[in-house]
Amino acid sequence: MLREGMTEDRNTPAKRMTGDRPRRRDIALTASIGVVVMLVLAVAGELSGGAFLGGAAAFIALAFVYYLTALTTAEPNPRPLAVNAPRDLEAEASVTMLERLPIPVLLIGAGGRIERANPAARTFLGLGTERGLLSTVLRQPRVLEAVSAALRGDRGATVEYSTLAPLESHVRAYVEPIRLSAPGPMPFRAMLVLADDTNSKRAERMRADFLANASHELRTPLASLAGFIETLSGPARDDEEARDRFLEIMTVQTERMRRLINDLLSLSRVEMNEHMPPTGSVDLDNLTADVSEALAPVAASRNISVEIDEAGTEGGAQVRGDRDQLYEVIENLVQNAIKYSPDGSQVKVSVRYGISRDAAEHLGARIDPDSGRLTLTAPALDPEAKFGVVRVQDQGGGIERRYLPRLAERFFRVDGQKSGPTSGTGLGLAIVKHIVNRHRGGFTVESAPGTGSVFTVFFPVAAAMKTLETPELRDQSDSVAQ
Amino acid sequence: MNTSHTAPHIVKAFSEELEQLTADVAAMGGLAESMVSDALQAASSRDGDLADEVRLRDAQVDQMQRDIEKKIIRLLALRQPIAQDLRVCIAALKIVSDLERVGDLAKSIARRVHTLNASDPTALNGAVERMGRVVQSHLHQVLDAYATGEASRAVAVWERDDDVDEHYNALFRDLVTAMREDGSMIEPGAHLLFIAKNLERIGDHATNVAEVVHYLVTGQELTADRPRGPRPETS
Repeated sequence: MLREGMTEDRNTPAKRMTGDRPRRRDIALTASIGVVVMLVLAVAGELSGGAFLGGAAAFIALAFVYYLTALTTAEPNPRPLAVNAPRDLEAEASVTMLERLPIPVLLIGAGGRIERANPAARTFLGLGTERGLLSTVLRQPRVLEAVSAALRGDRGATVEYSTLAPLESHVRAYVEPIRLSAPGPMPFRAMLVLADDTNSKRAERMRADFLANASHELRTPLASLAGFIETLSGPARDDEEARDRFLEIMTVQTERMRRLINDLLSLSRVEMNEHMPPTGSVDLDNLTADVSEALAPVAASRNISVEIDEAGTEGGAQVRGDRDQLYEVIENLVQNAIKYSPDGSQVKVSVRYGISRDAAEHLGARIDPDSGRLTLTAPALDPEAKFGVVRVQDQGGGIERRYLPRLAERFFRVDGQKSGPTSGTGLGLAIVKHIVNRHRGGFTVESAPGTGSVFTVFFPVAAAMKTLETPELRDQSDSVAQ
Repeated sequence: MNTSHTAPHIVKAFSEELEQLTADVAAMGGLAESMVSDALQAASSRDGDLADEVRLRDAQVDQMQRDIEKKIIRLLALRQPIAQDLRVCIAALKIVSDLERVGDLAKSIARRVHTLNASDPTALNGAVERMGRVVQSHLHQVLDAYATGEASRAVAVWERDDDVDEHYNALFRDLVTAMREDGSMIEPGAHLLFIAKNLERIGDHATNVAEVVHYLVTGQELTADRPRGPRPETS
């Protein structure tokens, strides 16, 4: 009996190679041998003792074969692998290609479960490693509808969706059903490919906005220039006194136009890149010192002192950012503070480092119990994030509470500062806001009429190297999407 | 929903049902969110067709609410959940009713688009748009917090509702001033005022959801007083 079992065992590898399943057959064979033995014994008339013996022997053989087949299946079998090698290589190449693809690609299974997502998709949707449900990470109803249609085997679809807040993004989603040869009632999977359209959409709108803004704002100084030129070439041609006065006004107007164009260009440049986070790192301490040095002559001419307070930044204050742009931000804020301060007053610039968003937003005590406070722009909420902060406080006239939400609006000027040679372009704070947005930072204002205003900007600290990988990936996917 | 910190259930189907419930609520949130953003988009681009489409979508939100509520009742009856599982069910029940209200408010914004289109665009449309963006951002982040189970993010949104109040207050004053100065502003102004009020209420619903998310994750109520901005009606 045992011998029989062992010969069976020797046969199993051969059977595996021919593609048979060894286990069930072997067991059946051994069991039938046992039955035959019992039958022979029964025919011979020795039923009671022999039947017991035969049955026992058959069961022992059965158990033995179980044991042996378990052993052989556990052993690695090199042959089948060698046969399938070319196909495996191909599959490996496809998997690697998918993994390296900078475009988010997902495979959605029955019930909307994410079965597969490449790293680009994980970054794009902020996915962990778990196989969650699609609707928890991508709530767009139209995409979800298209996916469930594809899972039913309907035609694929292209869906566009946009979110405007907290960050603007426009995405095109391609949904395509895939029929797998897998058994089961649900042969369909849905392939979801996401293409980030934010840059092209933004560029499109920016062009329209720029034209509208530029033409609207340039019309006033242009009209006045045209008027003066007409007067100078006509009635005032020989009036020396009037000519000088007119030329002076014209210089002021052209200067204003120049500033406007510069600001508009700078704004549209910043807006263009707003979608791409900066990769460099900047020391806020140095930067603030540089700015105040550059603006010292302006401040001195009006007897205004600019005081810098850098408590707690001894270890440096490196934040993630583009130096030129951050310079522009701080320059704009300090310049504004000087501009709206009365002569002989004081502008206080404080730099803080490594504090949370809540602390950054509410740095320092309220300047006045009734002061208005507003966050003009803020990064996505993340309790872990740490920021470097610059806070600029002036002792100027302050801003009425109801104007606060409009401060970062382009061409918005608070009543009473709309004319005069020092009048701004109304673009300074809009530029600040867009630069801050690009840096994933925050921008807040606190103001009380009669007491002064405080403008605070904060930027994420430059510690985490991990965050640097994300923008690269995004950039690549952008260029591919275009 | 991040259920990885809780032990999986012996009955795997139960875990899956709970996960599916969270996903359904998130999908409904997405629908409500899209209604708000499309209603505002319709208002700012004066797109009457989009506004009509938003109004039609409200029925879908209502249907989803009924479906989810049925599912929850079924879950409660068949599984008799306790602790975290019970909180998942109760939280879903509360959030869908908030989301349904958000859908109604978005529909009410969309309904005003046609009347607004009849009058000239005013400078204050921009202010409404800006307020809408703040509210959208709150709603989006609070739903993100729900889907990922991050109570701290929900609390952060909850704390920032006074931003919405501040915007509403500024807008209210501007609108009242504009209406006083110019009689032709009264009609569009009144509609803008209602839109702003609806947005402010959507913001309130977002904070309600934030409170529920906090309860869902920690099992505790958010008891502290929410910071409140000024109320123009009372001042």
